[in-house]
Amino acid sequence: MEDDDQRVVDLVKELVHRLLYTSQQSNQQNPNPSYTQQEYNQALKYALRILSSRMTPSISADDDAMAESIKRRLATAGKSSEALTFADLYSKFSHKSGPGSVKNKWAVIYLLKTISEDRKVRQNQFANRISNGFLDSALAGGLPTLFDNDELNGSSGGFGKLSKNSSVGGLNDGVDDLRGSSGNVRSIRGLSNLDKSVKNRGERNSGAYSDSFSGLSENMKSWKGLGDNARGLRARENVEKLYKGGILTMSKDPENIRDMAYREFADLIKEENEVMEVVLVRDVLYACQGIDGKFVKFDEKVDGYVLPELIKVPKPTRIMVQKLCELGWLFRKVKGYITESMDRFPAEDVGTVGQAFCAALQDELSEYYKLLAVLEAQAMNPIPLVSENAISGNYLSLRRLSVWYSEPMVKMRLMAVLVDSCKVLKGGAMAGAIHMHAQHGDPLVNDFMKRLLRRVCSPLFEMVRSWVLEGELEDIFAEFFVLSQPVKAESLWREGYRLHSSMLPSFISQSLAQRILRTGKSINFLRVCCDDRGWADAATKAAAAAGTSTRRGGLGYGETDALESLVTEAAKIIDKHLLDVMYNQYKFKEHCLAIKRYLLLGQGDFVQYLMDIVGPELSEPANTISSFKLAGLLESAIRSSNAQYDDPDILDRLRVKMMPHNTGDRGWDVFSLEYDARVPLNTVFTESVMSRYLKIFNFLWKLRRVEHALIGVWKTMKPNCVTSRFFTKLPQAVKLQLILTSRKCQVLWDEMNHFVSNLQYYIMFEVLEVSWSNLSKELEVARDLDDLLGAHEKYLYSIVEKSLLGERSQNLNKALFKLLDLILRFRSHADRLYEGIYELQSRTSDSYPSRDKSRLQRPSSNKSSEPGSWLGEGRKDLTKRAGEFLRNMGQDIDTIAKEYSSVFEGFISQLPIQQHIDLKFLMFRLDFTEFYGQLRPTTGGKLLF
Amino acid sequence: MDPEAARTARDSLELAFHMSNILETGLDRHTLSILIALCEIGLNPESLAAMVKELRRESRPPPPPETVAPLP
Repeated sequence: MEDDDQRVVDLVKELVHRLLYTSQQSNQQNPNPSYTQQEYNQALKYALRILSSRMTPSISADDDAMAESIKRRLATAGKSSEALTFADLYSKFSHKSGPGSVKNKWAVIYLLKTISEDRKVRQNQFANRISNGFLDSALAGGLPTLFDNDELNGSSGGFGKLSKNSSVGGLNDGVDDLRGSSGNVRSIRGLSNLDKSVKNRGERNSGAYSDSFSGLSENMKSWKGLGDNARGLRARENVEKLYKGGILTMSKDPENIRDMAYREFADLIKEENEVMEVVLVRDVLYACQGIDGKFVKFDEKVDGYVLPELIKVPKPTRIMVQKLCELGWLFRKVKGYITESMDRFPAEDVGTVGQAFCAALQDELSEYYKLLAVLEAQAMNPIPLVSENAISGNYLSLRRLSVWYSEPMVKMRLMAVLVDSCKVLKGGAMAGAIHMHAQHGDPLVNDFMKRLLRRVCSPLFEMVRSWVLEGELEDIFAEFFVLSQPVKAESLWREGYRLHSSMLPSFISQSLAQRILRTGKSINFLRVCCDDRGWADAATKAAAAAGTSTRRGGLGYGETDALESLVTEAAKIIDKHLLDVMYNQYKFKEHCLAIKRYLLLGQGDFVQYLMDIVGPELSEPANTISSFKLAGLLESAIRSSNAQYDDPDILDRLRVKMMPHNTGDRGWDVFSLEYDARVPLNTVFTESVMSRYLKIFNFLWKLRRVEHALIGVWKTMKPNCVTSRFFTKLPQAVKLQLILTSRKCQVLWDEMNHFVSNLQYYIMFEVLEVSWSNLSKELEVARDLDDLLGAHEKYLYSIVEKSLLGERSQNLNKALFKLLDLILRFRSHADRLYEGIYELQSRTSDSYPSRDKSRLQRPSSNKSSEPGSWLGEGRKDLTKRAGEFLRNMGQDIDTIAKEYSSVFEGFISQLPIQQHIDLKFLMFRLDFTEFYGQLRPTTGGKLLF
Repeated sequence: MDPEAARTARDSLELAFHMSNILETGLDRHTLSILIALCEIGLNPESLAAMVKELRRESRPPPPPETVAPLP
């Protein structure tokens, strides 16, 4: 840097020297003395001051455009051959590259152009030598004063000095009075405009000219927003002088009368219209930035920019202005939305997507500002024309502006539409709405929307990414399409998170959204319920597998494939990890099996033992039973069956549960077993699932109990030698009755036993085992927790349905329970019958107490040898009572049998109606001999006829 | 300095000088080369031009442009 600075200073010194020296040399004949050392130093100081000022070129750096403009200018000036030479030189110059070539070509060209323009201005002055000195000063500082009212006096003083100085031709203190260098530049630009206008009006008489010029100077004043009449007059004076000089230079214009007439006409038009197009163009440019122009102003009532009626402009111009001002209206709308959103941001939820949308709009607007700035800069430049004689208006006319505006107009319209449709939306819904607008055939619109959407969607995609890979829900403004709800751990999976369909943008399909939801849910489930740390590794693996798109902000709109592959990959790995944890760490399958063995009574010896041991206890009224005692009994049932070899963790979870009981309930009605699944397995074995298990358990338990009861009855009623010997001793009538009754009882028992054992068989082998094997198969192929839940749900459902416990088989279920109740009633009757028989037996033996023992020892002799001992009063009475008892019992059993057979018939006739489950085999087993099948048609026939 | 680079530099200067003449800037070769060097250093062309103008303003009307050497 130091070197550079030093080099600059050296070069500048050299330059100043050369500049001064050349002038001196060329003016050797001049009587003025050569430059003194002091003057040299002053000049150097001044040069350095100029250089250190912050002057910047007013146009953007574009070498080709610059060269083109120079070429055109030369051509316009009638030097077409030079223009060609210049073009040739320039192309050679611009092709020089590599070491030693000029790098900053643009700067060089620009420098040359500026100096050349300066020279040309000076040459014009020389044409008018009289006013040379004054004009020179006017060029240097005259015009800038138009814009600097505050230093009016000082500057006019400066002019005097300057003009004097320049006529003398030396540098002196006067230069210090020069304003800021930017003022100089402006003056030069302004002047070149003036110069142009002078050229244009070369042939005009001075009166008309000064009129039109007053308009121009007014323009310039308002353009800079400063100035007053005095300045305007002064400027006009200056230019009039300039114009006088102009005659000389412009005198070579071809004498084309037609052309001249046309010009006159054009000027007439200009005079007629109070407002010139230049002003309107400027106003439109302002309006398009949302600022009121001089004439074009925003009207709240009309809701748009209007040109007041008072102003006299031709109708087409008016319409054109109105059309162009639409852009301003749209701009106001978009800008208003952005400011509004940003204003309410801290207080209200704008949402990250909304903020991104605003930022994207802001960016688009800044592009738009750039265009406006360029247009504004170009507005005053003349259109380069090939021939000199054509009128060269300002670069921007309304018509040109309308061409320039066509593209921003489309964009701005789109933005305004988006702003309108997105005002009330946020988050995913907003992205979705914009996406709907992006479905457009026009490539311009399409690209624009894509660019916008990339910005808008970036927060959304970031949310997806962190949700899928980290399980984090960074969604303060509820914009994401996954919603979380505070729930307990066991329902985290089912209810903790759900899709928020209105926030789901349409470019993410429902199934993809489901997968996204599940992946994040799995991570959260692992973290919260399974207390697992391995998911982080799994997520890293998933990230690595999905490739590059996993970095922060790596995903974007339009890369649905990348998103999908990321989600798929992450889902696969995390689901697998989750299932591993469920199977291995939490032993899901083992617990399922345990439930099947204990709650679904799959462990036969255990159930048998439990039934035996708790049976007497459960016959008591429910309110007298202690659940602690039952727990103890359960424990001993486990200890004495094969269940003792099971995993203690599993046995630990098995509990006795007493259901709430009503008065009159027996222990049987309230007793049940319970399995405590604990977190995280209670996600599968939820309370509702467990209550269904309980329902199944109660049914199976009742079935077992009925079976148990029937076996108990059989124990008492099965024919043995004691009873048969007793029968023979009875009188004929009683004996016959007894045999008849017990026969009835046996037949009914047999029927019941047939039913119960077949039903039991069906439940055990065709319901439980089949469902279990299906479940095992499905667990093998399950790929995620939802599959697992589904498989288990199916398993439970099939058990419930097939066990006739479902909603649709309610009638059947009622009949079934009625049958079971009837069997239990039968059991009590049969018990009473046999109790009666035994009592009778003991009564008869009571009459011979001494023989009791011997009878047992020698039954046959006792029975046959003393039949006569039964005769007598007591015996007759006894016989009568026994006959009565047996008759009653017989009647009771008859009613039960009748009721049983009618209910059973109803049951069996309903079986084929159950279409949703396969009861063919149950039917077949129950009616193996077609005994019931033959009965039914007859009853049916009876009903029919 | 690499002879190739030197040649390029000379050519460039020559071209710039021609252009300068066409544009009637009235700069001689040496001045122009200094100006180009300053541009290359990164000085603002606008301020350079302003400086040239200001310093010249002091002088008498510039001499008629030098005779341009015919293009190679």
